[in-house]
Amino acid sequence: MREPITDKTIPTMQEVPFFALQDLRVLKNRGLIDPEKIDEYIARDGYAGMAKALTEMTPDQIIQEVLDSGLRGRGGGGFPTGLKWKFAAGEKGPVKYVLTNADEGDPGAFMDRSVLEGDPHAVIEGMVVAAKAIGAHNGYIYCRAEYPLAIKRLSVAINQAKEYGLLGKDILGTGFDFELEIYQGAGAFVCGEETALMTSIEGKRGMPRPRPPFPSVSGLWQKPSILNNVETFANIPQIMLRGGAWYASVGTEKSKGTKIFALTGDVHNVGLVEVPMGTPLGAIVYDIGGGIPKGKRFKAAQLGGPSGGMIPIEHLNAPIDYESVEELGAIIGSGGLIVMDEDSCAVDMARFFMEFCVEESCGKCTPCREGNKRMLDILTNITEGKGKPGDIELLEEMASVIRDASLCGLGQTAPNPVLSTIRYFRKEYEDHIYNHHCSAGVCADLFKSPCQNACPIGMDVPAYIALIMDNRLEDAYKVMLKTNPFPSICGRVCDHQCQSKCRRGKTDEPIAIKFLKRFITDNAQRPKVEAIPVTRKETIAVIGSGPAGLTVAKDLAIRGYKVTVFEELSEAGGMLRWSIPAYRLPRDIITKEIDDIRALGVEIKCNTRIGKDIPLSKLESEFDYIYLAPGAHTSQKMGLPGEELNGVYGGVEFLRDFNANETAWTTGEKTLGAKVAVIGGGNSAIDAARCATRLGADVTILYRRERDDMPAAIEEIIATEEEGIKIEFLVAPLNIEGKDGKVSGITCKRMKLGDFDRSGRRRPVPIEGSEFTLNVDSIIAAIGQIPDLSFLPENSDISINRWNTFDLAEGSASQTTNPKFYAGGDALTGSDTVINAIAAGHQAAIDIDTAIRIKNNEDPYEAPKEEEIIIPFELDEDNPEAPQTKMPELHGHERKKSFIEVELGFTLEDALKEAKRCLRCDIELD
Amino acid sequence: MEKICSVTIDGKVIEASPGQTILEVARANGIYIPTLCHYSNTTNVGACRVCVVEVEKARSLVASCTMPISHGMVIKTDTKKVRDSQKMVVELLWASGNHDCLSCERNGECELQNLVYWLGIERPRFNIEPPNYKIENSNTMIQRDLTKCILCGRCIRACNEIQVNEILDFANRGNFAKVGPAFDNDYIDSECYFCGECVDACPVGAITFKQARFSGRPWEIKKVKTTCTYCGVGCQMDLNVHNNRIIKVTGNKDYIHPNEGSLCVKGRFGMDFINDSSRLTTPLIRKEKDGEFTEATWKEAYDFITERLTEIKKKNGPDSIAGLSSARCTNEENYLFQKFLRAAIGTNNVDHCARL
Repeated sequence: MREPITDKTIPTMQEVPFFALQDLRVLKNRGLIDPEKIDEYIARDGYAGMAKALTEMTPDQIIQEVLDSGLRGRGGGGFPTGLKWKFAAGEKGPVKYVLTNADEGDPGAFMDRSVLEGDPHAVIEGMVVAAKAIGAHNGYIYCRAEYPLAIKRLSVAINQAKEYGLLGKDILGTGFDFELEIYQGAGAFVCGEETALMTSIEGKRGMPRPRPPFPSVSGLWQKPSILNNVETFANIPQIMLRGGAWYASVGTEKSKGTKIFALTGDVHNVGLVEVPMGTPLGAIVYDIGGGIPKGKRFKAAQLGGPSGGMIPIEHLNAPIDYESVEELGAIIGSGGLIVMDEDSCAVDMARFFMEFCVEESCGKCTPCREGNKRMLDILTNITEGKGKPGDIELLEEMASVIRDASLCGLGQTAPNPVLSTIRYFRKEYEDHIYNHHCSAGVCADLFKSPCQNACPIGMDVPAYIALIMDNRLEDAYKVMLKTNPFPSICGRVCDHQCQSKCRRGKTDEPIAIKFLKRFITDNAQRPKVEAIPVTRKETIAVIGSGPAGLTVAKDLAIRGYKVTVFEELSEAGGMLRWSIPAYRLPRDIITKEIDDIRALGVEIKCNTRIGKDIPLSKLESEFDYIYLAPGAHTSQKMGLPGEELNGVYGGVEFLRDFNANETAWTTGEKTLGAKVAVIGGGNSAIDAARCATRLGADVTILYRRERDDMPAAIEEIIATEEEGIKIEFLVAPLNIEGKDGKVSGITCKRMKLGDFDRSGRRRPVPIEGSEFTLNVDSIIAAIGQIPDLSFLPENSDISINRWNTFDLAEGSASQTTNPKFYAGGDALTGSDTVINAIAAGHQAAIDIDTAIRIKNNEDPYEAPKEEEIIIPFELDEDNPEAPQTKMPELHGHERKKSFIEVELGFTLEDALKEAKRCLRCDIELD
Repeated sequence: MEKICSVTIDGKVIEASPGQTILEVARANGIYIPTLCHYSNTTNVGACRVCVVEVEKARSLVASCTMPISHGMVIKTDTKKVRDSQKMVVELLWASGNHDCLSCERNGECELQNLVYWLGIERPRFNIEPPNYKIENSNTMIQRDLTKCILCGRCIRACNEIQVNEILDFANRGNFAKVGPAFDNDYIDSECYFCGECVDACPVGAITFKQARFSGRPWEIKKVKTTCTYCGVGCQMDLNVHNNRIIKVTGNKDYIHPNEGSLCVKGRFGMDFINDSSRLTTPLIRKEKDGEFTEATWKEAYDFITERLTEIKKKNGPDSIAGLSSARCTNEENYLFQKFLRAAIGTNNVDHCARL
């Protein structure tokens, strides 16, 4: 047998994690017996529990056993089953009813169906025990007509049980009678509500009745009745046979036994999963479910069907039991568990579930009939970009009224998905309403194409891909330059969030957008840049010449401002120049794009550190606004003994030194030694490791989690492995060993994965006694970067937080707490991507320009009319499945021993082949 | 002896009988709780949710019309939570229909309108989006405009529980729910008896008396209580009079017996004759055989009757006189009539048109 994800051979079914971690009680006969043969059921202890209850126990004893078991209603309510029986047993009268709710209607839930079709006698047996307990002689199984096989097998089972004297008159010769009928429901979700179900059996329109009177007092035909779910009854035989204490031996304090979940959605293994109550959500999703396909991130799990709520990534450790789940704003419900990855939109999910409830509302009470409909309208508007300020608050108010004032459970719980998504994903709602942006790329009315929507600067991806097809590369270049000042850089080092949302990725593989972008810049004539005259009196200083600073400079120069950029180091570019190695981003590529910005009229003053070469106060008096984009150029310390030894480098410090003194390093004047350990799993760690290996060192990367958890780009990790760099996973450094003031080794501890942290990754926990020492000559610690903001004087009024990054003024996306200063890039966000820094630059340019114009009482900026570029709208219907076109790469010695660019760039043929794969999501067909 | 339990409503300690609902206890003690779907003599369904109150220790708000009291219950009817909920519900109802009071027949006696005013709602927060139903205009008695329907279900219960005609019920689900006869037929194409009970039950302007439309505003109408003349049951009814014309007839609910506010098709709709030119408005006497009827005063008429009956009785004995009374007289009138024949005339020759 093979494990479906890893394809590893596993000896037996029970060892497959999907099965190994389940505890089958209700599903104990799953797939093992022929459900149409009562003998097979009996052979596996069938009807033994009933026999015991009927022959050895009094009704009180039966009820006590069920109470002891702690069993709670599995249909969703979670009401203690024993208590329900006790109430009904206490009612006088010769006529009582035992009813089974088999009107399973939650989208995605099918545990009742599985039991009815696979083990129908378990339900019948449970019902007879219940009948004995409360003194009933008639019962119904209310089964939805959409389950024909369940109905057939139940009928067969009822007939066989009658034949065997296990049902009907004088059961087992005890004198106890119990007649059972199947009633077919006509497909109304609301008939899963107990009073509506009873009304339906009475032959009336299935609408709920007010409670009290409760069904245990006045239920079906106003007689005392108990209604339990299929799964609840299927638990009873074993509780009778093995005792309540046995049942209560698993589970949590208040939620005993096991529960079946219908695991589905964005998870590897879908299906019915029976686990003890209290099993952490993460264990169900990752250990049993096998995690999220396609390397996507878990976003949330919808628990409890359309009336349930979402449990987000930060609560993966939550034990799934009635109380904990309710605290998190969800319900266990009937056990529907829909896993959603990062490509699910919270608002759209809420809208989807609300749509279901609106369709299934019976229409009796106003809050559910009218209120949920209006909530759906509001949600639909939000997903269509027609949301209004105040919508979230109105949704919350409506949800609270509907929850409090609806007649039955359907209405009362319908707003749950809305409440829970607002609770955990309020920002997404705001993003939809105020920015008309759906970060998941789901709400199609809010964008032209998912790739453009995913791009932080909204690059018109389908347009430039279409222009490649038309062989209009210069136009394609111009299209890219409209939004991106650095297309040739991004064509090499962008983290391409666009590709993760590419619709093509849902069928085979996403379009290689990054490579196509680079192809354009490699092959097209660079559009000519002309200086833009300074037309405005305000002057702007930019501190830091990284992508954020230069974007602000370009945008403001285009708007007619005089911009001066101050750079501490000898050349402009920030992290692009000083951290990313040349084999990924050749220096001339950076120079060309920065020169284009200079050509606009932006002045870049290198070798000028503010606070040292020029005091900030001087800048303040000479410039009207100052943009702070100093980046994050200091490595985070590991805090280990021996960190001060010679041969211990910070990741960015090493890369900066290498890029500044390349000759010294390559000629051996400076050296790391023969063996190097790199600590960390991010892009800087990989850059440092690949540099070190090019300098001839034997490099080992030490990372404390697993490969899937590495923050570095996957193609970088693959390249690292190809270059022969070892990566030790689940290893954390403990101590740096030294000799004569110099590093001689690093002692580490092996780790194993524990519970989940807030990012949804399993927390590494040390394995005691697993220490080992690696002999190394140098250690590069690349575990994170922090900004160096020491150039700011203490009285600057610019607030800095505990992560040593800037605080922003309330409501602004770029203004600091001192209104003269704006900020962006890594110094604002912490270490982040190039494209996000560019986005921050665009934002700040708009904010600074707007602030100036408001101050001067001027009209808002209007961009000059651009040259119109007609985008071809040809749709190739014949677009067969094909994988992404491979990037040609440098191989062998030439690659490993040099800093020549590894990726060679697409040929025209490659580019056309790849561009042709684009589905042109931007085209709207009438 | 009746068991008494004590509850607290809005801080007031009240003694009540077990089995009573919160609404009943509150109303009996002068505490106002608004209702829409509540309709006396029918099942409490708890559908509209405007009668919600807060009950201490309850998980959510409670519909006072369906919740029986229990000893020690602490109830609050005027908290912010209750009012917010009522406002939301009323706004939702307002926005769900075509509630244009300007031309609505029920303007001034509409329960929804009253509630909007009572709760002080300026405008609903939702767009007004009435369903797209046609007005049912296919019979001469009842007009139905379901775009004004608030789906309280009172007409359904009036039809099924009071009149037991079982014509009306809900069809469709959720927001598409709609009241009507089977197959969504018009009344005229259904088994409807046109008792008009649904019209009386409707709290808004969805079901109205067609003949009364544009004939008089509620505040212009004078209600004249009378007893129905169609049969001997003696149903109590209000003639709704405007400009000396009966524009409609409604059941009188104040006087419980015998009809408890209900009427049948004849009592409710059979009033055209009142203003008919051929209707008798004064006694007529035919003074001689084969002669013409001539108008007379009541004095003349009674004198003539007394004189002739006395004369006939004296001449031919009491059994020469017989009396035939009408089913359109009241029970009391018929009683008096037979008493008159038996005691005053002295004959058992008395009969009634409905004895056949």
